[in-house]
Amino acid sequence: MKVVDIFRDANANLWRSKLRSSLTILAIFVGSFTIILNSAINAGVNDWMNKQIENMGGEGYLEMMPTEAYDTLTNMMGNNGPQEYTEDKDNANASTYIKDEQIEAAKKIDGIKVFNALPNSSADYITSKKTDKRYRINLNLVVEGITFDMSNGVSPNTDKNAGYEIAINEDIAKALGYENVADIVDQTVQIAVPSNLKCYTAIKRSECQTILDVKVSGTQAPGILSMGGSRANLALWTRVNEINYEGMPAETNRSYQATADVDPDKIDSVKAELEKIGLKAMSVDDEVGMFKVFFDAILIVFNIFGGIALVAASIGIINTLFMSVQERTKEIGLDKALGMSNGKVFLSFSAEAIMLGFWGSLFGIVVSMIVGNIANVVALETFLKDFPTFHLTIFEPLTMISIAFIIMFIAFLAGTLPARRASKKNPIDALRYE
Amino acid sequence: MAMTNSLLSTHGLKKVYGKRDTVFEALKGIDININAGESVAIIGKSGSGKSTLMHLLALLDKPSAGEIRLNGKNTSKLKNRKLNRLRNKEFGFVFQSFFMNANDSVLNNVILPLKIAGIGRRERRRRAMEALKVVELDDKFKNKAKDLSGGQKQRVCIARAIVNNPKVIFADEPTGNLDSATGEKIEKLLFDLNREKGITLIVVTHDEELAQKCKRQIRIADGLVVADEKTKKGAKK
Repeated sequence: MKVVDIFRDANANLWRSKLRSSLTILAIFVGSFTIILNSAINAGVNDWMNKQIENMGGEGYLEMMPTEAYDTLTNMMGNNGPQEYTEDKDNANASTYIKDEQIEAAKKIDGIKVFNALPNSSADYITSKKTDKRYRINLNLVVEGITFDMSNGVSPNTDKNAGYEIAINEDIAKALGYENVADIVDQTVQIAVPSNLKCYTAIKRSECQTILDVKVSGTQAPGILSMGGSRANLALWTRVNEINYEGMPAETNRSYQATADVDPDKIDSVKAELEKIGLKAMSVDDEVGMFKVFFDAILIVFNIFGGIALVAASIGIINTLFMSVQERTKEIGLDKALGMSNGKVFLSFSAEAIMLGFWGSLFGIVVSMIVGNIANVVALETFLKDFPTFHLTIFEPLTMISIAFIIMFIAFLAGTLPARRASKKNPIDALRYE
Repeated sequence: MAMTNSLLSTHGLKKVYGKRDTVFEALKGIDININAGESVAIIGKSGSGKSTLMHLLALLDKPSAGEIRLNGKNTSKLKNRKLNRLRNKEFGFVFQSFFMNANDSVLNNVILPLKIAGIGRRERRRRAMEALKVVELDDKFKNKAKDLSGGQKQRVCIARAIVNNPKVIFADEPTGNLDSATGEKIEKLLFDLNREKGITLIVVTHDEELAQKCKRQIRIADGLVVADEKTKKGAKK
């Protein structure tokens, strides 16, 4: 018997008991729908993350913090139970500050083009002449050689003799009174920088702040990565630092912000080397990765639901086919008497199981595409309004086809039990059966 | 046993069912020879072993002892694949209770052996229509099998039995479920096929009248051949 005929007959046999087959297909559909929609959301999130990285530029950009500080941070987040105190590790200074010998060692690592370790600089707020409001600001240093992609203007000039320059988020530009974001490029904004020593004794914070005029070199599109962070050039950073530490002795422990420009091909080996000298380095990819962990966790939960649905559906397939084998005992006997081999009988019932899987996943694909595309439209009008490039669901044909094949394979596995029983039937017994 | 046209022969054929205490010997040693082109009736009461004999001759079951030769070749050493092919190509089956796929069309029922043989769609349809013409049901090919009368059903089964141009037709009580007028038509059809196409006809029955229409009667009782005789000229009604 030809395989085409087997599958054609299998499909025809399915529709002999329409209700029973439909219900089984419905069960498979629930599983396939969930898994396909999940994979589409996963693809959507990944796509958006990649767009973020592309928007950011700075492939070879690394930010570093001492490993102890990183561990403390993750321990706090992870709540790993009580942590034992040891003087070496837990000396607040030792753990959060990058040491001089670490800086020296880091500079020797192969693959690092530029290594910058500068004391942390902090500013209080940013404002402009166009508004009375003041906004909190968080400064990041742009390392020499790195250029970030800007939605308007250019990346800040990293030459140490350049004027004070900053790149800011589009949101901040709007808040500062520039409704048309592009207009803020080359305009001057004001940044308030505290002098830490003075601030201990000052009655009003404004008494210890210095206001700097800073040129906006460009703006960055909103996204998870540029959120809140404004990018200062070296000249601005150095000046802010001077003000922060004004009046303090030179040997004061200062926490360093260490950044590096690394050959993108060597980024992994550089990170491993840095780890050895006690520095935890994060690339742009890593930062995105941390964000993605949350999405992944949610998707895993939903995929487990989908999987459970498929297990239940498999039991449905087994049940349906056992009933089918029972009903068709005579037919199986006749087929065998007329020369059908055990293998073909097995295959014809397996084909039925596969067809159940086929229809279930086909409906899963069609319905999840409809739902997914509606969700895209709704999401862009509501909670993703500020992220016009974020497509919540992306349906990749190859992924969907592979999922369909996996489901058909699961259906086949479920079908092997009844199919085996059918193939083992003795034609004479089957023909006697009335 | 150097008979040139021997088609099926059995040698010390035994069939035992059950184990130990419940052993039942259905066939106790059967030696028969059926030549190509014969029409043979296997007669016996129910429980005599005649159906068991037919199942063995049709290679649907394996004997407990002894052997069956088809065209002089021992069939006991044949692989399943070969047995399936033999049944599909060389044998045709007609059963008392028809065994049709009731919800399927007449045409599809006749096509079944060809489909199992893996013959292409157009060719199998052509051959099925030819077989239906022989039984004069070609105008009903679209009807569902369950909508036919008993006689028509049996004719469809005959069409299914001859669609692969078999050498032998096994008919198990072919007229058992039919009234005598319809039964006679079916009998005529089977004997015509035997005479005109030279298809060997092996009829299993307890109906003496039908048995007498065959050229030869093999009587089975308690698992043994008790008589094997040719029909005397003029005995045919």
